[in-house]
Amino acid sequence: MSRGLVRGVVVAALVSGLAACGGDDGGQGAGKELTFWMYQDRTPQAGQVMERVRQDFEKANPGVTVKIVKIPKDDYNTKLGSAVASKSAPDAGILDQPLVSKYALDGTIKEVPAGLIDEADYYKGALDTNRAGGKLYGLPQDQTTVALFYNRKLVPTPPKTWDELKQVAARVHAADANVAGMNVPKGDGYGAWMFPGIVHGAGGEMVDDAGKKVLFDQPLAVEALQLWVDLQESSPRKITDSDKPFENGLAAMTISGPWDVPTIKEQFPDLDFGVAPLPYKTEPAGNIGGEDSVVFATSKNQDLAWKWLAFLSDARNNGAVADAFGGFPVHLKAQVPAGGPEQAAFLEQLKVAHARPAVPQWIQVNDEIIAPAIESALTGKATAQQALTDAAGKTRSLLGWNG
Amino acid sequence: MTTGPGRRARRRPGARHRDHLIGWLLVAPALAYFVIFLLYPALSALYYSFTDWNLRTEASWVGLANYADLLFDDVKYPHFWKSVSVTLQYTLIAVPLTLVAALAQALLLNAVRRGANLFRLLLFLPVVTAEAAVGAIWRWLYDPQYGLINTLLGLVGIPGQNWLNTPELVIPALAFIAAWQCGISMIIYLAGLKGIPGSIQEAAVIDGAGPWQRFWRVTFPMLRPTTFYLLVTGVIAALQVFGLVYVIFSGNGRSVTGGPEQSGLTYVLHLYLFAFRYDAMGAACAMSFILLVFIMIVTALQFRFVRQEAA
Repeated sequence: MSRGLVRGVVVAALVSGLAACGGDDGGQGAGKELTFWMYQDRTPQAGQVMERVRQDFEKANPGVTVKIVKIPKDDYNTKLGSAVASKSAPDAGILDQPLVSKYALDGTIKEVPAGLIDEADYYKGALDTNRAGGKLYGLPQDQTTVALFYNRKLVPTPPKTWDELKQVAARVHAADANVAGMNVPKGDGYGAWMFPGIVHGAGGEMVDDAGKKVLFDQPLAVEALQLWVDLQESSPRKITDSDKPFENGLAAMTISGPWDVPTIKEQFPDLDFGVAPLPYKTEPAGNIGGEDSVVFATSKNQDLAWKWLAFLSDARNNGAVADAFGGFPVHLKAQVPAGGPEQAAFLEQLKVAHARPAVPQWIQVNDEIIAPAIESALTGKATAQQALTDAAGKTRSLLGWNG
Repeated sequence: MTTGPGRRARRRPGARHRDHLIGWLLVAPALAYFVIFLLYPALSALYYSFTDWNLRTEASWVGLANYADLLFDDVKYPHFWKSVSVTLQYTLIAVPLTLVAALAQALLLNAVRRGANLFRLLLFLPVVTAEAAVGAIWRWLYDPQYGLINTLLGLVGIPGQNWLNTPELVIPALAFIAAWQCGISMIIYLAGLKGIPGSIQEAAVIDGAGPWQRFWRVTFPMLRPTTFYLLVTGVIAALQVFGLVYVIFSGNGRSVTGGPEQSGLTYVLHLYLFAFRYDAMGAACAMSFILLVFIMIVTALQFRFVRQEAA
């Protein structure tokens, strides 16, 4: 039995190997290998989804082999940059949203061919993260956002507004001085990434990239930072700086994304937590993230590559694929996989999520200017207004904007 | 027996040429490795340091602009000098701390009679532990709530600190980890100790020198070449510290901005961010050459001013 199985596998391998050799350049995509780069699987289930979609695509396109290369997220951009520089980029791959405009502007990736997709089928916010200079350069694969995680034992009903948030945090900390009300984001790259969602919650904006104006030194943004500063009173750093304060029950609330839900449930099964949309001041808001997919200019199989990307994001597959990526579908007709009750909060948050500024140097502004400004306000070295005024000045100088 | 020249003259013509050929063939692998993986990349980096290059498009020549901007333009590179100062502070603390820890461990190991191999293994373990694991372990040890370090300090009445989130404490905390990983220096010191002739120590004992005097007047001076070697290589390594800060401050998928208020933004981490995160490979190459020149100057100064002969 097992020997027969082995023989079968060997024969199959030989046959497929021969087929691959013989079918070289056999027209109609036969015998072609397509390389696709993506992040490493978040979960074993995610790996199964990608494997299933890959097999379906190969079945629908006889003779085509899709080779999926999975790279740890931390190393992905470094490896991709090196591959592009050495002209060994894959046919297609995942690209972080803020990188799409950079890669498009210098001709590293191809424009989406006309007629590949019906743009009306996609969520506008997610699709727009693929645009540069008014043209479409990629297909979104998933979208995601952050929301408020709350510990049900400490916070029975989640706060909806900033005032409620401050009250709840103060009450929790007053009840037990060893528990922080909220794990307030810090002045690092991650905190700076979440900050715009809070600014939008007061009706403010980070920048007006059409008018080339920096707006995060305006009163509404300053109020957003002041909220974080005020929250620290009931949320001392010496508690929230410990490892996983929310998961360990030391912080009653935190801000995070859907990717954290399965991790917390798996590693902290006793934690009774819920997820609610972010509290806001004047209007519900948040920020959008997620993965886009693009075809590289050096690809020899561009038509096939686009076909594969469209396959991943079509109505039938995108629900599962987006879930595998840790986010939500970008195709309007895609089935949202049934998740936990947390899902509703994220879906509601996505409706009001704003894309980050489409400024090519935004990552640098985020890390090198906004993050230190947030930190200096949080540590009391400057007021929120001083910190943001200073940061806005630096941003204007760096970007060469006058407004 | 014939002498060299006479014997060589009787050999077949062309033999010398063949000797050369064989010599070249023997060094060819090493030479190829050197040219392909060391010389070519280094020269390319030098070329790219004079260009504006984002890895994706053709590099454009900008002359010395990268160097000038790095040193003088704090709009484009707001944290360049901060990263220089962080790295110098780290070097000034980490190198002496590592040498003292290594020498202390080597002296203990040299004195121990039973179980020396076990202790040697235990003290060397931190060196062979994967950097990511080291980062994870120390994030936990330094934890302001659960950390073992604060617990131990508490036993002697010192209040707990928020080590990795207080800008003033970040560099000492990192230097302490480096000293914990001093195993290689320790082994070299141990070899140095074994090389000191027992007769000299015995003579000192006969002359009435106590243990303290024996250490300062005999052992330490005899170890001077070892100390010098470890000092020079230690400074070079400390100026290039990267992996440690990267794993310490990039936990939980957070983007690396070098710790609170850039207090752990070391020079090479800063360089890495410009190379791969901010799309400025040209500037990053320039940074690497500024570091190269700086290391050469520091090393030359050490050769000039530090005593290196055994007394």
